[in-house]
Amino acid sequence: MNVQTKELQAGGQVPDLGTGPIPAAPYYDPAYFELEREAIFRRSWLQVGHVCELAQPGNYVVRAVEVVDASILIVHGKDGKLRAFHNVCTHRGTQLVADEGGKAARFTCRYHAWTFGLDGNLQSAPDFEQFYVEKAACSLPEVHVEVCAGLIFINLTESPVQSLRDYLGPLAEQLEASPVARATTFGEYVYEIEANWKLAYDNFQENYHLRFIHSRSGAAAVGEENPFGYPTQYAFHGPHRTQTIWSNPGAVPTPVQAFAFGKAFQFAAADGFGQYPHAKDYFALFPNFFLFGSPTQHFSHTVMPITARRSRGIFRFYWIGEDESASERFAREYCMVVGRDIHTEDRAVIEGGQRGLNSGALKVIHFQANEILCRHLFHEVDSRVQAYKASLEEGARA
Amino acid sequence: MTVALLPPGFEALEPFIDAWALAGAANRAQQRNDSTEAERLAFYEAAKDLAPAALDYLDRKPLAELDEREKRLMNLMLSLAHVAPTVEALGPAEAQHAQDREHLKITRASSDLYA
Repeated sequence: MNVQTKELQAGGQVPDLGTGPIPAAPYYDPAYFELEREAIFRRSWLQVGHVCELAQPGNYVVRAVEVVDASILIVHGKDGKLRAFHNVCTHRGTQLVADEGGKAARFTCRYHAWTFGLDGNLQSAPDFEQFYVEKAACSLPEVHVEVCAGLIFINLTESPVQSLRDYLGPLAEQLEASPVARATTFGEYVYEIEANWKLAYDNFQENYHLRFIHSRSGAAAVGEENPFGYPTQYAFHGPHRTQTIWSNPGAVPTPVQAFAFGKAFQFAAADGFGQYPHAKDYFALFPNFFLFGSPTQHFSHTVMPITARRSRGIFRFYWIGEDESASERFAREYCMVVGRDIHTEDRAVIEGGQRGLNSGALKVIHFQANEILCRHLFHEVDSRVQAYKASLEEGARA
Repeated sequence: MTVALLPPGFEALEPFIDAWALAGAANRAQQRNDSTEAERLAFYEAAKDLAPAALDYLDRKPLAELDEREKRLMNLMLSLAHVAPTVEALGPAEAQHAQDREHLKITRASSDLYA
């Protein structure tokens, strides 16, 4: 294996990211966060769900996207088409759907009973003759939605500069070949955290912390030949990035761990992922989503920003088919439990990091060679923020 | 005569039914947190060696057709999945870990269907 040094073992094209310190303010400053809302979250493709949540026509889910003050309603139409709308009645703006999801034939606003079809069109409204508008002008405001590998992405701009597939580039094909593309169900755990979204996200982009934070729960992630458990490869794909995780081949599993992972592997192999080439790859999609390739612990993590110093994380373990046997059920439960254990340790230390940054005592932070994915995220964020700021200043001068 | 609460061969797990034969992944995670170290260890020691036989036994039927005794055995095995990492890996770190773990709320699990 190639343990990383300052001479990086990177695949693909390595962007020039420099080696200097990174300003600390973007990780706690509310003013910077305000710029990120517009420069990033209002115009990037954002992962908000999976098609298996909307298997039948009439299925819908509602997703809070606090960073843009939006509630998004995603609907599987009678025509089989997936649509996304702002979850807002076009009469006077009441939030249309109050629950988080389910199945419906239509959506009726509780305020004045305006009723919308699954296609977002206003079907009926009591005493509509009294209004001064046509029904055709009262459809729900539509939001761009596209799917790759079963993953649902929305884009809140009026006209996205790229389709989702163009945005994902060569990663789209790799994602389409991964288990998530065939997933029909998932396990999920969710956390809230007093931390900036980048700080929360970055923790999962570097392995430098493994031996300290996961010394008990993640003992197999480090070893004598790779004491920090650094990845074996990094690669950059436009705003996205991937890394290939190392695991210690000499690690001796504990009894139930060996039993459960053995079963999990059998089920992955039965699904055709026994020799999956991306089993150790970690796909980080800009801005706030990643997927781990492992077919036995095929989990995604989305960090939804709420304020400059507060976020919500959603972990999902995707599975192909419902639990088909007791053994499969046991293996899946175990895989999710141990994932949650490790992420528990991550969450706790991330909050500590935010408490340290908030005072402004640090003007800069430092990323080492093996924290290059964190550096890359910062550059991708900051280049957008600076460009947006420049456009505002230009607008002010004009 | 007493009615068997578990399928034949798994009587040794009967004392653990009340605490650990729980439906719902979130409930099992909560019991892991609420139990004492001695309770977890006793359950782990009793369940781990029976797990291969228990799962082989349960694998003979579709999950939707498990009867009440079999469901109890299934839920005991699922609780073992929660307890094992504490006993095998976390050890003395469990107390702090349990507090930190509560922030990660299990909102869905594939095991919640037909539980």
